[in-house]
This record gives sequence, C-alpha cells and structure tokens, in this order.
Amino acid sequence: MVVDARGSWCPGPLMELVRVIQEEAVGTEFELLSSDEGSRKDIPLWIDKAGHQLLQITNEPGFDRFIIRKSHA
Amino acid sequence: MKRVIVLGGGIGGTTVANRIRKGLEAEVAAGQVQIQVVDREGIHAYQPGYLMVVFDKMRPEETKRDESGLLHRSIQLVRAEIEKIDPAANKVVLKGGKELPYDVLVIATGSVIHPEAVPGFTEGAHSFYDLANAQKLRTAIQQFTGGKILIAVAGMPYKCPVAPLEVTFMLDDYLRTRGLRDKTEIHYAYPIPKVFGIDTVAQPMQRLMAERGISIHVPFNVERIDPVGKTVKGVEGETIPFDLLIAIPPHRGSDVVGASGLGDKGNWIPTDRFALKVEGKENIYVLGDATNIPISKAGSTADYEAEVVAHNVVAAARGESPSARYDGRVYCWIMTGMSQATYIKFDYLHPPHPPTPSFAHYWNKVIYNRTYWDITARALY
Ligand SMILES: Cc1cc2nc3c(=O)[nH]c(=O)nc-3n(C[C@H](O)[C@H](O)[C@H](O)COP(=O)(O)OP(=O)(O)OC[C@H]3O[C@@H](n4cnc5c(N)ncnc54)[C@H](O)[C@@H]3O)c2cc1C
Repeated sequence: MVVDARGSWCPGPLMELVRVIQEEAVGTEFELLSSDEGSRKDIPLWIDKAGHQLLQITNEPGFDRFIIRKSHA
Repeated sequence: MKRVIVLGGGIGGTTVANRIRKGLEAEVAAGQVQIQVVDREGIHAYQPGYLMVVFDKMRPEETKRDESGLLHRSIQLVRAEIEKIDPAANKVVLKGGKELPYDVLVIATGSVIHPEAVPGFTEGAHSFYDLANAQKLRTAIQQFTGGKILIAVAGMPYKCPVAPLEVTFMLDDYLRTRGLRDKTEIHYAYPIPKVFGIDTVAQPMQRLMAERGISIHVPFNVERIDPVGKTVKGVEGETIPFDLLIAIPPHRGSDVVGASGLGDKGNWIPTDRFALKVEGKENIYVLGDATNIPISKAGSTADYEAEVVAHNVVAAARGESPSARYDGRVYCWIMTGMSQATYIKFDYLHPPHPPTPSFAHYWNKVIYNRTYWDITARALY
C-alpha cells in the first residue's frame, strides 16, 4: 500500500503512518513517501518503539521512500 | 441549462458555491447555469469558534448562522440529508428518494467525529469538537479547582491538527490568571515521539511546554478510557491518571461517501491532490475535510482549495481547460496563550516556520474570526 505523504507538514508523515498502520491488517507492507527530512530519524525511532519492521529506506531526489511491514495488531 | 451541485454547506461548500457564482455571474443570471447547495440542516457551523467558546472568547450563538444568508441569493439551498451519490447516472439521491441530476458535482461533506469508537470516551472524556461538548468543557474548566489535566488524541486523522497544542497553552494561561496553576498538573500526550508532526513546529512548541511546566507523554495512542477509575490506557502500555481529561475524538468521512462507494476505509475520498478531482471521475471535485490528501483538515485548506475548484468549474463551463492546480497551501494560527498566537503557513513544497508568538498574530486571528461570515464565507475577496 502506497502512502504518499510528500508535502504533509501538518499533521506530518509519521502521523499518516500511525493512522494507516492502525487501519490495515497485520502483514501489510507500506511504501511511505516523505519529503520531511525529520522522517529519516522519526520513522525508524517510532517503528522500533511500536515493534513493526522497517524493511528498507531509499533516498530519492527530494524525498525518501520507506518500506514498512506491520508485524502485530 | 448546466447544473452545478455542491454537497455540504460548511466552510468549503459555502465558499466554493459563492466563488463559482461570482465566476459565472452572467450565465447564472441568464439561467444557463444553476447552482445548488445541499446541506443537512442548512445551518453553517464555524467550528474554529468552539475552542473560543471553551475560554469565553466567543459566545455559542456566534459559531453558527443560517446558510441561506451566506449564499448569494441566486444559489438554491436544499435542506436535506444526502443519501447517495450515483456517479454513473450523474445524480444525487436525497433522503425520501428525491433525485438531483448534475453536470458538475463538488463534494464538501467534511468529516464526522466518532467518540463512541473509543471505549469510555463518551462517559470519561471532555472534548471541544462540537458545540455542546465545548460548552460542557467550558463549565468543567470554570468549576475546576486544581488537580491533574490530561490532553490526548484518541484517533487519527483529526481536523485542525494544532488544536491539542492550542487548548493546552490556553488552559495553562487561563489557570495562571485564575491562580490555579500551582494546584494543577498539565499533561500533554501525543501519538508520535514528539509533540507535533514535524520538527520545525514540534521544537518551538516543546520549548514552550518546557517553559510553562507542561509534562509530555509521547508516543501515546489512546486505547481505552476508564471513566470510573479516571485513567487512560495507551496502546504503548502507559496508563495516565487524570482529574479532567480533554481528548480529541476519532474522525471519519461522511457516511454518504461510504454509501456511494467513493471512499477508503475511513470514508475519505481518494483525490487528485493538484486537480482536486475524485480519482477517476472527470466531473466530480472534492475539497475540505472530505479528501484523503495527507495535509491539515482545516477551514483554511478548504478555503484555498475552493479557489482552485471554482476556477476550474468556471473554466470548464466556458469550454476552457480547467488548468488551475492546488499547491497544498494552508495557513493556520496556533494559540499559544489566551492572547498570543503564532501561525503555520506551508504548501506541498515548503514546510512551515512558525514565527515567535505575539499579540499581533492573535489579533489577526480574532479579526479573521469576526469577519469570517461577511468576507470569507461570502467569498468577497
Ligand atoms: C474545535 C475546532 C477548531 C478548529 N480550528 C480551526 C482553525 O483554527 N483553523 C482552521 O483552518 N480550521 C479549524 N478547524 C477545522 C475546520 O472547522 C474544518 O476543517 C472545516 O470546517 C472543514 O470544512 P468542510 O467544508 O470540509 O466541512 P464542514 O465545514 O464540516 O462542512 C460539512 C457540511 O456537510 C454537511 N453534510 C455532511 N454529510 C451530509 C449529508 N449526508 N447530507 C447533508 N449534509 C451533509 C454537514 O452537515 C456540514 O454542514 C477547527 C475545527 C474544530 C472542530
């Protein structure tokens, strides 16, 4: 599932991620796109605390792509 | 005759209808274009006023007006529940079975709060996301004599993402003036590991909280509220006790979106973020809280989007190309006390950098609130 949160400064890409993770089933993979530089720090930190899996981060021109798997309910 | 129907008579629906009318003044006057606005009650709610009601800065009756006085007299207001949109047949079905055909449809049905989705919310939490609850919270704050106040977000997305910050700072200031701050602990809980979604806003807000002795609990996602034991249990495992809880309820898009098969799981409408058209639908626009665009669900978003949608509806009606694009512009004030504020202004490409809070920014917000009915809603600029 693609979550294009580029340009989401308010509420912000991490808020979008928390929202979709709550809505979708365990095992779902998310491709989160963020143009907020803070995401490089915030998203791994939150994934770690929340116990989900961060599978990949790639830097693209002007944004980052995060591949995340929801690992528990 | 071409028919333009706007669904919803809130901030987005009212301004877009008035703007389209202005752009097509001659065509409307000549009877070549008909504009209709459909709204459940036809009473327009200015929801940003609810926070002001909590702190006695606006009276409850100042937050609503009859929609008929806000729409240009040539726009027809239909007071009815919209039951279904049928894009294949280009018609809208109202409760009771009446059908309204359209050539162009603009959906501005907003968002709906669902406190019942969180166990214990209705019994245990105060909120200010509808007028009745804002008034109850006002009374609770007036009767408050000290103790532990918790501000928390009980579901996402929610409209006006800065509102939890605002109520926290206003409360702090209010209690200081009342001489109750020494007897009160204020706790702010937020769903992510910082007090707001991005650093340029979170960092200055976190500094203000530190200066004002506000405790922070992050990340904290509300799981359930115990109204008897007066605690909130978070998904992360923490349980926070409270004497007074102010929580933001979960939101969903309007039921009519789901009933029409136009929404995602939360009844938000998949939207082209630049053209503001419903994905895959050439003659249906959407704006305001109803979209799935991941930016603030705010009145200012709806108002800026209305400019783009109106421009394109007018262009298409004249056989021109609907080339205006929404650039993601939003402008929201953040109250940082009872009479000071800062603001965030941003678009898809440029993040916000809130200036130092001041009385002047607060005063701009007051002026905006006071002139909303006569300038913004009527699309006078
Ligand atoms: C406490 C609070 C503070 C806020 N502060 C700010 C602020 O400071 N700045 C800011 O920019 N924004 C603020 N907002 C957000 C702002 O009010 C909303 O984002 C804005 O109203 C959205 O406009 P809209 O036109 O999309 O929806 P709305 O204004 O909610 O209008 C939707 C309309 O559609 C009607 N409707 C829906 N479904 C149906 C149906 N099936 N049949 C008939 N009618 C229907 C509803 O009755 C309603 O009249 C605040 C909101 C709250 C609650």
